Amino acid sequence: MSENLFNEYGRLVPESLTNAVYEQSRRYFLCDAPSTDLDDIYSRTCNILGPADDLTADDFRGRIEKILSSLESDPATKGITAGVHIPLLIPRMDIDDLGSALEEHYLPAVERAFLQRLPEAEFSNETNGLAGKLSVRDGSRHGQLLEKLAKQSVVGVYFPAMTEYSVPAAVEQIQRMPENCLLTGGIDLCAALIAAPDALIRKDGYPPTFWLTAIQGESENICYHFEAYGYNLKLYRRAHLGQTSEYWWQGITVLG
Amino acid sequence: MDLYDALAETNLSPAEQEKRGELMARKPYVASKLANIEAMEERGEISPIIRLEKSYLCNFQCTHCSAEYYMDRHLEKVLQTKENRKQMTLDEVRLLSKEADELGLARFVITGGEPLVMRDFEEVVQAIDPDRHYVITDTNGWFLDDEKARWLKDIGVEKVQLSLDSWIEEEHDNFRNKKGSHKRVMRAIKSAVDNDLNLILSTVLVSGRTKAKEFEEMCKFCTDQGFGLYVSYAKPTGSCTDHPEFVITKEDADLLREMEKKYNVFTHMTPSYGSNKGCITVKGIITITSTMEITPCPYIDMSLGNLRETSMKEILARGMRNPWLGPHRPDCLIGEDPQFIDLHTKVTANYTHLPVPWGEGFSDENTLQD
Repeated sequence: MSENLFNEYGRLVPESLTNAVYEQSRRYFLCDAPSTDLDDIYSRTCNILGPADDLTADDFRGRIEKILSSLESDPATKGITAGVHIPLLIPRMDIDDLGSALEEHYLPAVERAFLQRLPEAEFSNETNGLAGKLSVRDGSRHGQLLEKLAKQSVVGVYFPAMTEYSVPAAVEQIQRMPENCLLTGGIDLCAALIAAPDALIRKDGYPPTFWLTAIQGESENICYHFEAYGYNLKLYRRAHLGQTSEYWWQGITVLG
Repeated sequence: MDLYDALAETNLSPAEQEKRGELMARKPYVASKLANIEAMEERGEISPIIRLEKSYLCNFQCTHCSAEYYMDRHLEKVLQTKENRKQMTLDEVRLLSKEADELGLARFVITGGEPLVMRDFEEVVQAIDPDRHYVITDTNGWFLDDEKARWLKDIGVEKVQLSLDSWIEEEHDNFRNKKGSHKRVMRAIKSAVDNDLNLILSTVLVSGRTKAKEFEEMCKFCTDQGFGLYVSYAKPTGSCTDHPEFVITKEDADLLREMEKKYNVFTHMTPSYGSNKGCITVKGIITITSTMEITPCPYIDMSLGNLRETSMKEILARGMRNPWLGPHRPDCLIGEDPQFIDLHTKVTANYTHLPVPWGEGFSDENTLQD
């Protein structure tokens, strides 16, 4: 794998996909590059999600720098860092039920981080309940993250690089990526939104939606996404039906 | 699970559940279709409200009218031409009602023009069939007194959408170019409520109005009175083509979303009943013009097909696979997206008779790079 897979904006260029995707983007829905102050991310995450006993701030910084330098040293993935990316930390955790973990632990943490950043705004979970309903999507590679999380704190970088992809196109595309590139799920996206709480809030234009691509609801067709509603942040459930929209951004999480 | 149990499990407010329960008692078939919309959406089927523009006759000439370019007065006085295309008949409305019903669609809005000046209004309601569809009428309120409201209820109309463009009497009358129209709206509100018609007020949001005191007072009035205020963004189409300064900013849209927390106010992008469609083009609304063309929203003058040539099912599918209209976007396509506004303005400028036919504006070849 040697040719650059990404365009100048860090978008993973779709190539010969059989599922729905926009070949070109007019870049109408945009995400402002969030701050990536690693000390700030480490301390906020530990304050809100709980301490990462097995990882210091220096360890975190070193591992993020290693992820980014590794991606940049590979001609195929070098372009990914030109796009929006958010370093993230997930303190070690046993997950019995993904939906319960999100509802009871990670979404309240996103809310706390969001309201700390934007006290006048609101966060809401509009999904009508997640407990017992979620599973890991086949082909997403997300199981790697959950296995690792059960043993140690997880460090990674979230790249919403599959802009304007359908969920099945994202699954198709990730198979062509290096093994450490996973489709983004719920816990890692929550961690990214704790790291950059206002990543989806824009005043001078509309932001995209960030999808929990690696997670499915009661059926393959059900997925979830974070979406700004004005100055507010919401989590929605959606029957995506294999369609795509320029408003839908699927994500890649690279672990290190 | 019967319909009443199903209703209790939906995301409807208690007041809305009570209304739906009452509708179930009177019109169980219509109520069951409305209750089924969420399940349809889950299967990828859509259930747009059908806006029926059978006639463009109107007693007003409003500054922001989206239908002005379809009206005989515009064609004849401004463009020196005539409407020579075949107009919608009552038989076609009957066929349309049947076809919509077979697709599970449940709601018709009679619009125009001003529906209450249509001589065949009652025949149109019967052709739609109020036992098969939930029937709503738009109105500017000029003719909506007690007697008219009673008559509307008697013939099967369930809901009235009444236009009010400023809480300040003089501003509304100026915007509507009709002195006394604000007073008539106030009378119409009372008549609709007194005669058990469901009511929403609709108002046009022009740039900066979210910060106006009169707008907040109107929001407060509607909330206090227990009915909703539907806010429609000004779009640079129809008479409003000459008023690009009316187009709202992102700040207006965001401030309005904040006002939704406090008041019973909503736009066509507001999530409702647990459904978050964003811009409702095709997914939540279609317009059928007097020449049987289907457009994806009241303000987009480009057709997705003509019902005399193509089935409604195929026309809706064309809309859903079109990248501009697609499954989901948060903003108003014709009210906020500058690239689409520019495209629409350029395409429609070449036509005297609207909407622009399928294939010449919208087509299966559209891309977002158009």
